[in-house]
Amino acid sequence: MKSNPNQRIGAIAGKILVFSVLTFFFLIAAFPLLWLFISSLKTNLELQVSPFTLPKVLQWINYENALKMANLPSLFLHSIYVAFGAVLLNLLVTSMAGFVLAREQFRGRELIYTLLTAGVLVPIISFMVPYFTLITRLKLYDKLIALIIVYGSINIPVSIFLVTAFMRSIPKEMEEAAVIDGCSFLQRYTKIVLPLAQTGLVTAGTFCFIYAWNEFIMALLLTSSSASRTLQLGIRFFTSQFVTDYTSMYAAIMISIIPSIALYTMLHNRIISGLTAGAVKG
Amino acid sequence: MRRGGSTFSGRHRLGIGIFLAPVLILYGAFFLYPLCFISITSLMEWTGISKAQFVGLENYKKLFSDSTFTMGIRNNFIWAFASGFIQIPLATLVALILARKPPLWKFLRTLYFLPNVISAVALAMLWKAIYNPTYGLLNGLLALVGMGGHNWLGDTATALTAVIAQSVLYIGYFMIIILAAISNIPDSLYEAAEIDGASVLQQTFRITLPMITGTLVTSITLAMAYGMRHFEATFLMTGGGPAYATTTMGIQLYNKMDAFRYGEASAIGAILILLGTVLIVLIRSLLSKNDPMAEAAQ
Repeated sequence: MKSNPNQRIGAIAGKILVFSVLTFFFLIAAFPLLWLFISSLKTNLELQVSPFTLPKVLQWINYENALKMANLPSLFLHSIYVAFGAVLLNLLVTSMAGFVLAREQFRGRELIYTLLTAGVLVPIISFMVPYFTLITRLKLYDKLIALIIVYGSINIPVSIFLVTAFMRSIPKEMEEAAVIDGCSFLQRYTKIVLPLAQTGLVTAGTFCFIYAWNEFIMALLLTSSSASRTLQLGIRFFTSQFVTDYTSMYAAIMISIIPSIALYTMLHNRIISGLTAGAVKG
Repeated sequence: MRRGGSTFSGRHRLGIGIFLAPVLILYGAFFLYPLCFISITSLMEWTGISKAQFVGLENYKKLFSDSTFTMGIRNNFIWAFASGFIQIPLATLVALILARKPPLWKFLRTLYFLPNVISAVALAMLWKAIYNPTYGLLNGLLALVGMGGHNWLGDTATALTAVIAQSVLYIGYFMIIILAAISNIPDSLYEAAEIDGASVLQQTFRITLPMITGTLVTSITLAMAYGMRHFEATFLMTGGGPAYATTTMGIQLYNKMDAFRYGEASAIGAILILLGTVLIVLIRSLLSKNDPMAEAAQ
């Protein structure tokens, strides 16, 4: 059956529309990052004269400058320490609670679960004053451990949701068999549920890591000295040193986003399935 | 042992308590305590050092008669509506396209989400560079067609639009959620429509969109809630300026805190939470009214 000309024009127009939409958002997502990367390898003169051309000689020295001037290596280590610390703390406490919430029957279970997950609805920025006074009273002001505790706690609602959902999906039979074999409460957690829940834990941990790595405002609020400065703060502060040296500044930004991009490249399927785990339930 | 299946019920009171304690302590310290804290201190005049004094609703009155604060509320509402009614339709459009699995759809899905894993600091500096009046990308592109030379973030007429645009155009997060909802629709519905000769557009409007109404309502609600609490990108790109054109409630909160006016800062925190909650409840009940699909999806 031949389609009439109108339909064919419609189909072509549809294809053009689809192609333009996909290309537009491709450019929005990719082009600025690509431009940043290319600009970070140019001289400042090249950047100003021709912002869209490729550099004649790759200026890797911009990266050297960035590393030296902004003291990036130590900022980088601080952020690694904070992000891993927050993930560890977060997964330890949420896997314990998730185990109990998913596998035990007790009064108030639904209430506790609802209370914990409802935390995602709260705008964390409204807690700036209480977080500041609490951390100061605990004598943790300007210490990286404060950021570990705060980031690990802020991610409790998301992690409880992901970890509990995953632990619920593990079949009960294995645990029942283990109980008959004399497995204790603690052993059920360490030997059976925890190993089987690995996928869920990695997903929750990835979300927590990305949050902790990228977080800016609480770090600004709760630390002050360079001994406890994270990468995001450092990048922000040291830009004032680069006022004229834009290309080195771009190199510093590139260095700060490489870990996020690397993690995302490795784990994007996990991240996407973690996001949709929430969507299906609505 | 009681009934089969609930082998372990009620036998580990102590274990349950110990396993829940760490989460409850941290949640109490960083969610429940702050909630009580801001409710109480928002009724006090307090600089952090001096003794706090009970002043009733004085802080709230002061805030609502301060035109820069009401400007912040207005801007947050603009953020909320732009997120709910520009970002979500765009995300839906892209999700509808990717759901038909065009070439490279998996790659595009991954790429569109990429900006969501990059820090607000890096993105803010990137977009400041894009909007830069002398060497920026946007003016560079406009110069190719003979325009340009505009100070996007420095002009009160364009600053708010410029900051909102860069955020709203990152559709990845909601696109993925909506795409997942579309892929949950059973294929048999489309097969039947195909046999009946329904066009792609008809299938979209008669099958896909009605089937994902619940997810769309959730997405709009979430996007608006995020808009109501928007803070970071503006703080990093303009600091609320020029002349308060881009200020938000979060920025006002930060500034009050910086000026040691903790009572007023807490009052802003309380307003943020209240407005956010009211908005979520309102949008949900408005959008899902008389809509059996949405009710079923909840």
